[in-house]
Amino acid sequence: MWQAISGVFLGWSLGSNDAANVFGTAVASRMVRYWTAVILCSVFVILGAMLEGQEGIATYNKMSSVGPNLAFVVGLAAAISVTLMSYLKLPVSTSQAVVGALVLAGFMNDTLDTSSLTKVVLCWVGTPIGAAIISIVLYYAVGKLLNALHLTLFQYDRWLRIALIVAGSYAAYALGANNVANVTGAFVGPEMLTPLEGCALGSGAIALGVMTYSRNVMMTVGKDLVRLDAYTAFIAIMGEAITVHIYAMVGVPVSTSQAIIGSILGIGLLKGVRTINQKTLVKIVFGWLGTPAIAAGVAYILYNFMDVFWSI
Amino acid sequence: MAFWKRQTRVEPLIDAYFEQCDTCFELLSSAMDEYFQNGLGEAFSAYVGQIHATESKADDQRREIEHLLYGKALLPESRGDILGLLETYDRLPNIAETIVFVIHNQQLMVPEPFRQAYHDLMTVNLETYQLVRKAVTVLMTNPKATLHTTKEVDQAESKSDQMERKLISDLFQSEQELGMKILLKELILLFGEVSDRAERVADRVSLIAIKRQI
Repeated sequence: MWQAISGVFLGWSLGSNDAANVFGTAVASRMVRYWTAVILCSVFVILGAMLEGQEGIATYNKMSSVGPNLAFVVGLAAAISVTLMSYLKLPVSTSQAVVGALVLAGFMNDTLDTSSLTKVVLCWVGTPIGAAIISIVLYYAVGKLLNALHLTLFQYDRWLRIALIVAGSYAAYALGANNVANVTGAFVGPEMLTPLEGCALGSGAIALGVMTYSRNVMMTVGKDLVRLDAYTAFIAIMGEAITVHIYAMVGVPVSTSQAIIGSILGIGLLKGVRTINQKTLVKIVFGWLGTPAIAAGVAYILYNFMDVFWSI
Repeated sequence: MAFWKRQTRVEPLIDAYFEQCDTCFELLSSAMDEYFQNGLGEAFSAYVGQIHATESKADDQRREIEHLLYGKALLPESRGDILGLLETYDRLPNIAETIVFVIHNQQLMVPEPFRQAYHDLMTVNLETYQLVRKAVTVLMTNPKATLHTTKEVDQAESKSDQMERKLISDLFQSEQELGMKILLKELILLFGEVSDRAERVADRVSLIAIKRQI
């Protein structure tokens, strides 16, 4: 099962890119220390994947049944694309990279299922919109609750600190539960990995990515798009976590990048469009559009290269 | 966790700092009562020494708080707000000390016809201090309820401004020597500086409270 190495690489690239989506706002605004965030994120990603990740893997297997060699090409192409985007400090969707590579592979193999693709693309649109709506609702609801509590300045400070850590940990849990399917879902099946092995290997790889290469994207998400205070950072992360966890429970792998950007934009719209850094937003949207295209391009090159050595 | 320990230590220190500033103003109030009743004497000199010691202790406490805050107690936005508040607030005990130093060092006596007006001006400024202290207490205990208290500081500062203008005008229409008029005018402005600085603290308090409104 050596082909799963590309899944590990993809998990690492996912961790390096998506840790930003769960702790980026808190770390970039210096409300939670980088290493506190990294350790919590790694632990909760593994917990989420092990406890609730198998649902997504089951869905993934229903959507696509590729052999180990093709899974290797898809995983490697997606991993290279996401790593490139991490290098460019852009938060992107690993799901999009995987789907971009998978579509190309399906096209080359004449096994492309367009009905599944439509569902996936609808989820891409639904995730940021859903996260934006959840964040706006949370912003008002939690605000009302806090106003009713009459906290002192120091109690409010303490509450926010705990809330940011809880929200980040929950988002990391949701990330692990939802996204582990993207990483090792293709390698789970008869004579390959068991679902539990897939979750363990995938979440371990994600945790490794979080610990080794996540700082750059964290800064883009937390600093460059919208300046967030502690309260809005908490709401943004919570909105993202709830959205992604809902998708995890129904077994649909979605993008935490899209969820957090949707959350931040929802709050940005609430506070006035001027607070949104439009240049960064354009860069992120470019990343979203570019990722599946780049992943498909890389997959095309890898497919043709590997087809010479193995029958794919 | 070190963060919680630092936060637990910083809260009573901040309370102690504000209490030290209160002591400084209580001493100023007593010193000025003594000054207006009995003039410059040993009792007033003793108050000058006590105010200086209290102000110095408040400075030491503020530095300790700053040290803890730079050591990352509190969230960054609260840290910045508290540091800014303390920096602005610290000018209040400073001006209390300056007032008694100026009177003591220059052996300045307010002429009898103006004494009551000076006393009244000082009373208004001491009241402004009480109001801004109340605003800070409300900020610490219930940030959302501070706006009313800061308005009271604004009103007291306006009242002090009017009294200062009237007193300066009366002073320069009097038969006092020009040199004396200038020294007495400086004293009026020093008294008024209490409410001016209190107003700056109140502005900062409002800003901190507004930032926490959801």
